[in-house]
Amino acid sequence: MSDDPSINSPVLSVDKLSYRYPNGQAALTDISFDIQPGERIGLVGPNGAGKTTLLLHLNGLLPGHDLPVADGQTAEASYPVRVSGLPALQKNLPAIRQHVGFLFQDPDDQLFCSTVREDVAFGPLNLGLSREEVLQRVATQLAAMGLTEVENRSTMQLSFGERKRVCLAGILACQPNVLALDEPSSNLDPRARRGFMRLLEDCPAAQLIASHDLELILDLCTRVMVLDRGRIQADGEPATIFSNQRLMELHGLELPLSIRYGKR
Amino acid sequence: MPRDFLDPYSRGNSICHRLPDRLKILLVLAMIITALFVPPENWPVHGCMAAAVFLAMTLAGIPLRYLLVRLMFFFPMIMGLAIAVPASTGFTKGWDVMATVLLRGTLSFMGVLWLVNVTPFDRLLVALRKLGLPQMLAAILAFMYRYIFVVFDELERMREGRRARTFSKQGLLASWKTNAQLIGMLLIRSMNRAERVHGAMCARGFDGEIRTLDS
Repeated sequence: MSDDPSINSPVLSVDKLSYRYPNGQAALTDISFDIQPGERIGLVGPNGAGKTTLLLHLNGLLPGHDLPVADGQTAEASYPVRVSGLPALQKNLPAIRQHVGFLFQDPDDQLFCSTVREDVAFGPLNLGLSREEVLQRVATQLAAMGLTEVENRSTMQLSFGERKRVCLAGILACQPNVLALDEPSSNLDPRARRGFMRLLEDCPAAQLIASHDLELILDLCTRVMVLDRGRIQADGEPATIFSNQRLMELHGLELPLSIRYGKR
Repeated sequence: MPRDFLDPYSRGNSICHRLPDRLKILLVLAMIITALFVPPENWPVHGCMAAAVFLAMTLAGIPLRYLLVRLMFFFPMIMGLAIAVPASTGFTKGWDVMATVLLRGTLSFMGVLWLVNVTPFDRLLVALRKLGLPQMLAAILAFMYRYIFVVFDELERMREGRRARTFSKQGLLASWKTNAQLIGMLLIRSMNRAERVHGAMCARGFDGEIRTLDS
């Protein structure tokens, strides 16, 4: 990360975030990082490292209440999660969620409306936009995702790849400037994965991509963070970090094949 | 489970499908109310209604076989209710009440079965909304219709997993025990999914009020 003051202010910043599961087990410890506008960051680590838990903090789905603030500090000034400078306090969550889009791993969790069109309209309707504006955004997103032909279909009748794209359309229709993506490529066949990666690449919003798909991160991201046992263990350029065999194996990861066989 | 399991004929194009949705709802509602209030001694009225239902089913292109299979699902349930009346008197009297329950229940069931098979569910909900069904109830029905298949598929996967690891014929007690565990697991999984769905709704700005394009 550069300390150059001319760089834009971060679109999302996390400062010394810690979280314990309700049973008291530590999930996240002292997490700090910034996301610059338009930056695409990978988040890798073994199962149970806390990737999803971290993502859920970015739009305030966790911890579900305001965190205590150290003595002599105000929440406004020192809150650990801030989106465009706004602390993720309960009262700010409506605004925060407008800025941070969240893609769930299982599209069935995210597509709860009866038709594709209704589902993409859900977010914009909650933003309180006019009907015309909502329809306009829905049409734009469906076209961008190549889903215009299925707009009146039930989400249950779509293929897995199509459902995943409807999820993304539903998020982008809210025009967020940060996306939190939980395993965007899991369960997709190679062609659908490729197509989905292209959509992410075309999307101007900053992205934090939690994934086991290291090749995807190598392709898309300029920066990667390794999360293990609730701590950020490494943060840097993907090619550098992924070539560090000791580091990778220490955290339950493997060298991506493209690096191992020098195809990159 | 096939996606049209609940209402396989709902997207047809017969005269019944083309009737205004609200009219169909009101017709069925009127039929149910009539069935409830006309005493069974007036059996010709019930007979006429049964004939009307069969006619409507035929017009809609719903095969008799489908109707009979669904009745076979329905009958044990209504029978369980109806048998309680004579059972409570030690099977000495109450047979007439039982017959009435069976008659009214079966007629109402057939009416609703016709309704859901001549109206796609999303249109049915819109029509119900226009007839004054509260938004929250409509939303609950929509969620039910959306997730019943997801939950059934989950159950089917668990049952497959069980079959794959069942190597001998289980005794009645043992198989009921695994069934009970399956149902318990399904409940827990469904509750977890509900948590996640609620999270996904909040993530897109849900604040307790349901807004749809139709309203």
